[in-house]
Amino acid sequence: MSTPEHGFFTDVTLCIGCKACEVACKQWNQLPADGYALSGNSYDNTNGLSATTWRHVAFVEQMDRVEPSASRWMMMSDVCKHCTNAGCLEACPTGAIIRNEFNDVFVQPDVCNGCGYCVPSCPFGVVAIQPQSGIAQKCTLCYDRQKDGLEPACAKSCPTESITFGPIEELRALAEARVAKLQAEGREAHLYGVDGPETRDVGALNAFFLIPDRPEVFNLPPNPVLPSKFQRAAYTSGLLGALALGAVGLAVFRPKPGSA
Amino acid sequence: MDATEKHGAQYAAGGAYGPDAVATSMQRGDGGFGRDQQTYYDHPVLQKPHWKWEIVTYFFVGGIAAASSALAALAAAGGDPDDALLVRNARYSALAGALVSGALLVKDLGRPDRFLNMLRIVKLKSPMSVGVYVLSLFSMNAGLRALEQLRADGHVPFAVPGWIAKPLRVSTGAPSTALMACYTGVLVSATAIPVWFTGRRHIPAIFVCSAASTGAALQNGLLALTGGSARTSKKLAVIELIASSAEAILLLHWRLSVGESAKPLFRGTRGRRLERFTLVGGLALPALLLLPSVVSRRPRHDPALGLIAAAAALFGGYVLRESVVYAGRDSASDARAYLRHPE
Repeated sequence: MSTPEHGFFTDVTLCIGCKACEVACKQWNQLPADGYALSGNSYDNTNGLSATTWRHVAFVEQMDRVEPSASRWMMMSDVCKHCTNAGCLEACPTGAIIRNEFNDVFVQPDVCNGCGYCVPSCPFGVVAIQPQSGIAQKCTLCYDRQKDGLEPACAKSCPTESITFGPIEELRALAEARVAKLQAEGREAHLYGVDGPETRDVGALNAFFLIPDRPEVFNLPPNPVLPSKFQRAAYTSGLLGALALGAVGLAVFRPKPGSA
Repeated sequence: MDATEKHGAQYAAGGAYGPDAVATSMQRGDGGFGRDQQTYYDHPVLQKPHWKWEIVTYFFVGGIAAASSALAALAAAGGDPDDALLVRNARYSALAGALVSGALLVKDLGRPDRFLNMLRIVKLKSPMSVGVYVLSLFSMNAGLRALEQLRADGHVPFAVPGWIAKPLRVSTGAPSTALMACYTGVLVSATAIPVWFTGRRHIPAIFVCSAASTGAALQNGLLALTGGSARTSKKLAVIELIASSAEAILLLHWRLSVGESAKPLFRGTRGRRLERFTLVGGLALPALLLLPSVVSRRPRHDPALGLIAAAAALFGGYVLRESVVYAGRDSASDARAYLRHPE
């Protein structure tokens, strides 16, 4: 059975920062609470994605003191990007991280052994080890709901359709149209994760964004790396070193003429 | 009008966001950013690796085990009867190191059966998967050699049958030992952590050199304790000297060639610790202690001196692994280093 690729399109210009997605995600996936600490960073007390927070709403307040009317208040609901070339998936030594039939990156909880190598291998800082279970956890793109033909909890709960779920091709068409409309109105808008420089290593993202500013403003890396590309240089360095020291050892221990 | 004039120095400096966010935001009275915002409240982009002392110690012990195995093989191939004691010590310590390595990995994973999850698949693209098989093959090889040594020493009455021993020796010997010495460097280099991936040309080679220098130091120490010959000790000192010089050169080259992304490793408390215990205590001091016995024509054997040099070199090697692993955690927390990395 072939299912079309499904993913998220998150439109920052429509987000009102209600955090319904955060709550719906926590409820549906039965994720534990993270405490009540206040960060002091606008209304963002979640701070970022974690093993127990799979949707995170960022609050960006840009104050223009010279022209107060040009000030902006932007919210963005962040989520696992479900990369085409996923660093976590490549790094996983158990095969726990797979690409499921909806082409989403999924951690099989019964196979993961908690080695934690996916954590530093994710170029977006998404996947993390949950201390209670000791295994890696992140957004499943509501795999269980998708199997029953339902949209993920966050998209279902979004009151402004800032988060839309559907077949990737349809979402891209929707996003292109939205960008064209915003740009026609003279507003800054571009897509993150479709074909920009950020997709150089990780490929197109199954969860992509419409952002009205530079990616780093929303803590999205402008240049995310795919860690496996560093392997060739690293193996070369290590094996050359081993070869050189092996040669030194051979020379040092070689039988001396007349000594034995 | 540039950003500084428009928003004031506090925005251009961009350093006002962090743990004191509440206080600074109240001071500013706006709670937010200017248009030239560089980061998102400096909140880390990346997640921190959870590796702790188990993995640091594994990197250290695994390197020593690999070097011991290599020294045993090289000394055995050389065939000098003076080196027989080294061969014996090194074979036993390689097996001990392999066993400790496995135990440390299991400790890190939490349950022994979790190790088996990694044997479900072989994945050449994952250094972690490669490493599991490297450690497994290396341990088999170390076990085989130790068994052969036990037989030679008359402790076990049977020999490993040739049809098992021969293919195992051929398939696992040199490749698994070389990879065992360097794959941990590849493991950290092939990640998204700036201090690690910008060091990918240095870290694996530095780990190999450190494996060789700490391995030679350990064998020299063991030799001093078991009463080995001065000639063998001199050979080990030569290897340790060459390996630690290469290690020092690579460390300094890394430090000079890499920019801001290596700050967590080379600056501050960790940088000073690395300088003191690895560069000076672990590399320079043992080299100074060993140099007289290396250059003299008739090597004198001084067990006490050998033991001091070995202890300093071993501690330096541990601090190196510890510094590299923990610098990775700090680097992951540095949003600026990752958002601006040059790759």
